[in-house]
Amino acid sequence: MVESFLLAWRALLRGHVLTALLALTALAHLLLPAVVRSDGTADGGREVFLRAVPGSVYTVLCVALLACACGLVARARESHRLALSVVRPVSAGALMFGPLLALVAVAAVVLAFNAGLTCARGGWTDCRHVYAPVLEPPETAAQRMLKDILANPDTPKEVRSAPRHRLLSILVGREVDRYESILPGKSLAWEFPAAAADVPTGVVARIRFSTQFNMRASLSGQVAFGPWSASVSNNTQSVLEIPLAAAQGRRDRPAAEAPKLDFRNTGRSTVMLRPRRDVEVLTPADSFGMNLLRATGEMLCVIAFLCAFGLFLSTALSRPVAIFAALVFLVVTEMAPAVLEQYPETLDLPFTDRMGLWLSRGVAFATSAVSGPQPISDLATGTCVEWSALGHAALVDAVVAPCVLLTLAAYLVRRRAAASRG
Amino acid sequence: MSEPVIEIAGLRKTFRDFWLRPVAEAVRGVDLTVERGDVFGLLGPNGSGKSTTIKMVLGLLAPSGGKIRLFGLPPRARAARARLGYLPELSYLHPFLTARETLRYYAGLSSLGRRDAKARTEELLARVGLSSVADRAVGGFSKGMARRVALAAALVSNPELLILDEPTSGLDPIGTRDVKELIRALAKDGVTVLMTSHLLADTEDVCTKIAILSQGRVAACGRTTDLLTRTQDARFTVEGLAETEARALADELARRYGKPVSFDHPSVPLEKFFAETVRAARG
Repeated sequence: MVESFLLAWRALLRGHVLTALLALTALAHLLLPAVVRSDGTADGGREVFLRAVPGSVYTVLCVALLACACGLVARARESHRLALSVVRPVSAGALMFGPLLALVAVAAVVLAFNAGLTCARGGWTDCRHVYAPVLEPPETAAQRMLKDILANPDTPKEVRSAPRHRLLSILVGREVDRYESILPGKSLAWEFPAAAADVPTGVVARIRFSTQFNMRASLSGQVAFGPWSASVSNNTQSVLEIPLAAAQGRRDRPAAEAPKLDFRNTGRSTVMLRPRRDVEVLTPADSFGMNLLRATGEMLCVIAFLCAFGLFLSTALSRPVAIFAALVFLVVTEMAPAVLEQYPETLDLPFTDRMGLWLSRGVAFATSAVSGPQPISDLATGTCVEWSALGHAALVDAVVAPCVLLTLAAYLVRRRAAASRG
Repeated sequence: MSEPVIEIAGLRKTFRDFWLRPVAEAVRGVDLTVERGDVFGLLGPNGSGKSTTIKMVLGLLAPSGGKIRLFGLPPRARAARARLGYLPELSYLHPFLTARETLRYYAGLSSLGRRDAKARTEELLARVGLSSVADRAVGGFSKGMARRVALAAALVSNPELLILDEPTSGLDPIGTRDVKELIRALAKDGVTVLMTSHLLADTEDVCTKIAILSQGRVAACGRTTDLLTRTQDARFTVEGLAETEARALADELARRYGKPVSFDHPSVPLEKFFAETVRAARG
């Protein structure tokens, strides 16, 4: 493996791939901040910078290394160099893992450079843990709703006769987007993980309120969480970050009790929100530098998966076809979740649209290794990239998926080493 | 008698298209045996199945039928691959590597230890006359220099079986002669060589056995001397005989045996003449 690593590393180094990527990174840090515009606030400026500069570097790195991976084996095979290596007493797996390590090493150098330049800019704020309410899984709620619907004698015949899995799929979508209403003078509370309340100070509630007709309306209310509380007075439709302060008269919750975020509507109009999407509790995590380190690790894991995928494609396909297929993969990876978000399933959906949705669902599932981690988005919004998320990405994207892909590639590489007919 | 180095029996290869329909039958039942120490030439016109046979021997292609054994093992067995060296028809070197790095790379793939790889690399660079340019990228090498690097790469693992596809392709006459001498020296050391070449004179010079393939079948196979020597004819060489004396001798033999007798003047092989001329010109 050392030999194939060194070979690929030298190819990337002497082919000026690393130099070009480092130069692009430096240029991005030099030029892009002067081009992109923020909303004028310090937070906005930071977010725009992170999305534009390290985000661009990450995107370019993904595309460039995916293209390199697609070229490495295909080129060696097409130039008959692969056959010369395959006839040696070396496993095909070693021939495949070496290039992957070289590509990841290039990515590591560029991402470290990128992280160094980002940190050197200064003025960063600490990141925050983001907690969602503890709710039952939407699938369980959907099962219950379905039971109720089928038990109801007024349920239309076409609903009763629809396939159960389709009804469940529709109900899961409904549950995720289910609104809860808070009438004037009433309150509603959501349970949160105990860890959300295990901080001495700096707790923030992030809530987005709506009205029935999605219009802007004034709202006012009281938010309380454990020993903290705050008053809020603003408009609906905005994402409100409400810093909570220690409140007199509020006692610490008993240790066995889960902390609850409570909102009392003291305004005149009814407000609504989706508990699965619109309510979060933020608590202080650690420094921006540490978060950048974890985000860089997550980026590296995604790139490792992409490179393994590129190497797999390059063993099976010719270079241009492999690069084309890889770029299509990247595009559908980005598109599939958006399609699912925009087009919820309904009972009267035409067959072709339903097929499209199933296909999108399949693609979203298959490409979740790439589309799942959002390191740039987390960095930009100040969300802490959790160690558990990094560990998951490392296990799935950097170990399991590449091992599976490269094992398949190793099988193919022996079968296809003799590219031309004798 | 020791086990054959290469044993091929009833070898067949049919290329198929995507729908598994047969497209071409490249090899149609080849039987060959290469013994230890043989320099075996595989000859044949284009499309006769030489390269396909070689690729199957190397384990790069799976046979459609028949059996191949290298040292008694299947060609894809790691133990078999550890004992062979391969020089392809074109050198196929990584252009960004230096000659030294190229040899180190293949030495590493051949499971040579770091120290052994280093020593073997230096020894082979000296043997193919490239020590002075060992740190230059092979992408800038001439065809002949690249060929020498490829040959050294084939030898880097100290193989017991050397498979050479057109070994003298792209070499000048002196390089060709050096390669042929190297093949003879390797054979003397017990290395078995299987080679293909379109240059029949080169094959005749170095091969102890040959097989001629035609349309995927073995048309002729045996010891080179047995196949090429016409035992029913005789040729004499008499040094210092003038034209008139030679003609008189021919007439005498024709009269005595009642058979047509011809004579000619022996010529120096062009390769030898070229080498002597170049050596003389260099002083």
